[in-house]
Amino acid sequence: MADDAVTGDVSSEAAAGALAYLTEMSPDLRGAAIVDPGGVVLAASGDADRWREDAAALFDVADRTGDEPVEQIHIGTEQGEVLALRHAGLTAVAVTERFALASLTFFDMRSLLRDLAGETTQSTFTPQEGGKSRRRRRSGGSDAA
Amino acid sequence: MPPKPHRVLFDRVSGYADEGAAFMRRRRALRRPFARLYYGGGRAEDHAVDSTAGGELFVAAGRLIEVAGKRPKS
Repeated sequence: MADDAVTGDVSSEAAAGALAYLTEMSPDLRGAAIVDPGGVVLAASGDADRWREDAAALFDVADRTGDEPVEQIHIGTEQGEVLALRHAGLTAVAVTERFALASLTFFDMRSLLRDLAGETTQSTFTPQEGGKSRRRRRSGGSDAA
Repeated sequence: MPPKPHRVLFDRVSGYADEGAAFMRRRRALRRPFARLYYGGGRAEDHAVDSTAGGELFVAAGRLIEVAGKRPKS
């Protein structure tokens, strides 16, 4: 089911809202993009064309390594971490600082893609009442001791 | 004379905090670059940096990191 195509059209506004939510939730996030099943960037922080090309290249390389399509990619380097996820034909790619809370970020990305794909009745990324910050605390811990 | 109860509590809490900080420091020092791919059904595969596939994955990831740039100051 994970790679079934999305049933309805996903608007750029909805994707931009999802991206804003992800950015708010993840203080370690440097940038992210959401790409539709046709390879069109629905929302991105920065150069959309570069995101499209580089995200496609990443999944292309990843798919070539095995005999089935990759669902999720997590690469950690000295410069940062790349998290990429495909769900219902949509793709979310995020770049974070090193040692980010990867499983939580993946969880948020998956929730957003489910919302965008219309699999949930209640949106994950509607603004919260009262203007409370939903921002998670930074990962890592103290360097003391 | 036994220590005051709150001193015991403080010592214990700061002991746990020290343990946690040391764990995080070791984790930072030991963690090496990695490339992990997840497939349907929960199967995962690691690719070493010096393998062909791993090298290509790191190059592709490096480009994405370059596109994302630095974290915006809040």
